[in-house]
Amino acid sequence: MTTLEVIAPLERPITGLQPDVLPLLEMRDVTKRYGGFVALNKMNFFVGPNEVVGLLGDNGAGKSTLVKMMSGINPPTSGQIYANGKPVHFNCRADSEAAGIETIYQDIALVDSMSITRNIFLGREMTNTWGFMDHDAMTAKAIEILGSAVQISGIDDPNKEVGFLSGGQKQAVAIARAVHFKRNILLLDEPTSALSVRETEHLLAYVRDLKAQGTSSVLVTHNLYHAFQVCDRFVVMSHGTKVYEARKEDTSIEEVTYHVIRT
Amino acid sequence: MATAQSDHIRQAIDLRNSRPRSSKAIDWIRTKPEGGITVLFATVLICVIAAALAFPGFRFLSEANIAVTLKAIAPLGIMALGVGVLMIAGEFDLSVGSLYSFCAIVTATLTAQWGGDVNAEGASAVAPFLAMIVGLAIGTAAGALHAVVTLRFNIPSFITTLGAMLMWRGATLLYHGANSLRYKPSEPFATVFGGSVGVVHASMIWFLLLAVAFYFLLHHHKIGNHFYAVGGNRNAAVAIGINPARTKIIAFAIAGCMAALAGIVAGVRVSSIQPGGGAGLELVAIAACVIGGHALMGGRGSILGIVLGTALMFTIQDVLLLVRAPGFYFEMFVGGLIVIAVIMNMAIRRKS
Ligand SMILES: Nc1ncnc2c1ncn2[C@@H]1O[C@H](COP(=O)(O)OP(=O)(O)OP(=O)(O)O)[C@@H](O)[C@H]1O
Ligand SMILES: [Mg+2]
Repeated sequence: MTTLEVIAPLERPITGLQPDVLPLLEMRDVTKRYGGFVALNKMNFFVGPNEVVGLLGDNGAGKSTLVKMMSGINPPTSGQIYANGKPVHFNCRADSEAAGIETIYQDIALVDSMSITRNIFLGREMTNTWGFMDHDAMTAKAIEILGSAVQISGIDDPNKEVGFLSGGQKQAVAIARAVHFKRNILLLDEPTSALSVRETEHLLAYVRDLKAQGTSSVLVTHNLYHAFQVCDRFVVMSHGTKVYEARKEDTSIEEVTYHVIRT
Repeated sequence: MATAQSDHIRQAIDLRNSRPRSSKAIDWIRTKPEGGITVLFATVLICVIAAALAFPGFRFLSEANIAVTLKAIAPLGIMALGVGVLMIAGEFDLSVGSLYSFCAIVTATLTAQWGGDVNAEGASAVAPFLAMIVGLAIGTAAGALHAVVTLRFNIPSFITTLGAMLMWRGATLLYHGANSLRYKPSEPFATVFGGSVGVVHASMIWFLLLAVAFYFLLHHHKIGNHFYAVGGNRNAAVAIGINPARTKIIAFAIAGCMAALAGIVAGVRVSSIQPGGGAGLELVAIAACVIGGHALMGGRGSILGIVLGTALMFTIQDVLLLVRAPGFYFEMFVGGLIVIAVIMNMAIRRKS
């Protein structure tokens, strides 16, 4: 006999900060269960206009689960999601795409057996009215896209199979794709795990630029120095709930570090 | 900064494009899954033609032999097109051999019932076509059904279609019995599917037309792109917004439809249908695809590979018939060929 155990935090759950303007995206009391295991427990989270949110926490805290929920590929067991104040249902990727959300997934999400160009335009192929693809236009656009955000050396053929690329090159392709199609919110789940120091700096600078252009971001990272470089607000998760939330000006790197390692 | 990287890529592309044709060809062979089979097929063909020119007794190039080979290829080739597309989408359908027989039997029975037999009084010209549409519809629906069961209950398609294989085989016997069925449709159906242009049999023309259509579907249409994505990395495809269920249902339906068409075309050619005629064909079709460079796990393969894989198997069969080798040699050869083709493909890919 196995007993179903609900892992709940010892302390009273923290509601954290309240949005002061209408958020682009808000999750209220979202819960995600995998069988008896609770990966997200009544989590509250929001992304405001023109801000970069740092999502922090230990391995297995539920960060990627939350990111996938915001990308629509991981519908909540319970709870409600609001886009621009209106309740929405995120049941598949198309739903989040409609809300202008683009994601760089932790596990990259590229098809190894397909070319860089085909990966970039997967699901958003440039086609004529009958659905036939315009390969030349896509290749030309892919070359342009690969030159934005991060410049990874060694990518010199957009028709090369992704399976032949290095880890950093793959991550660069995933970043280029998300960055090109982003509209309102860019979700970055450990986007720099395979990048060199130079390209990491480029990407962080790029996230700051995006904010100036009106695209908000959520940055998941284990590197608090990176988070402090770009984020306006920090959310620390542990065991599927929020354990700490603060604006950059109200906290310090030491305090955030304390909350990340405390649990 | 942004343009620097793009310019670098453009320069590299220009540089590659300005290289001699030979090194481009070598690149193509190395990076494409169908590269290995192209080399293998060309080699075999050159050897056989050289042998035919050297030994007049070896009648490979005789008109009669070419006509017979071109007549025989289409049924398996048409089935392999469907099976190959489904393999690229990451699934199998082991029941296509049974569907081949079932749909052909239904088509032949309806053709006769609706007065489409060539000897019937005032033979109807449209009846064979209508019967064929019913046969194809059954194949398509059966394929879609296999997909729905597989996806709904989240079980391997290998298992679903293993069950379907036995089920359709039983259904054939239930519907018709074990006797062979006469199938002589009236004109113009008989000519459209059983006539010939010179040495080229109508079924071969249909196969080639379908291959071209499938080429555009698979390599140039976005649904083909989705087949590769779902078969190559299902999770990534979902994460990026492709509906895997819809994509796979389409692939299964195509495989079922092609199996039905293959059965009908084969029936027209020999004017009769054996209820057990399709048994084992599913594995031969999978073998043709694997020889043509398809990955068993999905996400890799091409129409050229399917066509050449099928053609290579028939060339070898033909050569063995011409030298009067007993039938079991064919199976031994194909068995060896599957392994050799996969080894070759892996070796070529590793080098690149
Ligand atoms: N599909 C699944 N089925 C069952 N459990 C899952 C599933 N996906 C995630 N989990 C569990 O949910 C918990 C949270 O996982 P998640 O990937 O969100 O962690 P994370 O915070 O992103 O960690 P990391 O920093 O290591 O990426 C983990 O304990 C994980 O084992
Ligand atoms: Mg994670």
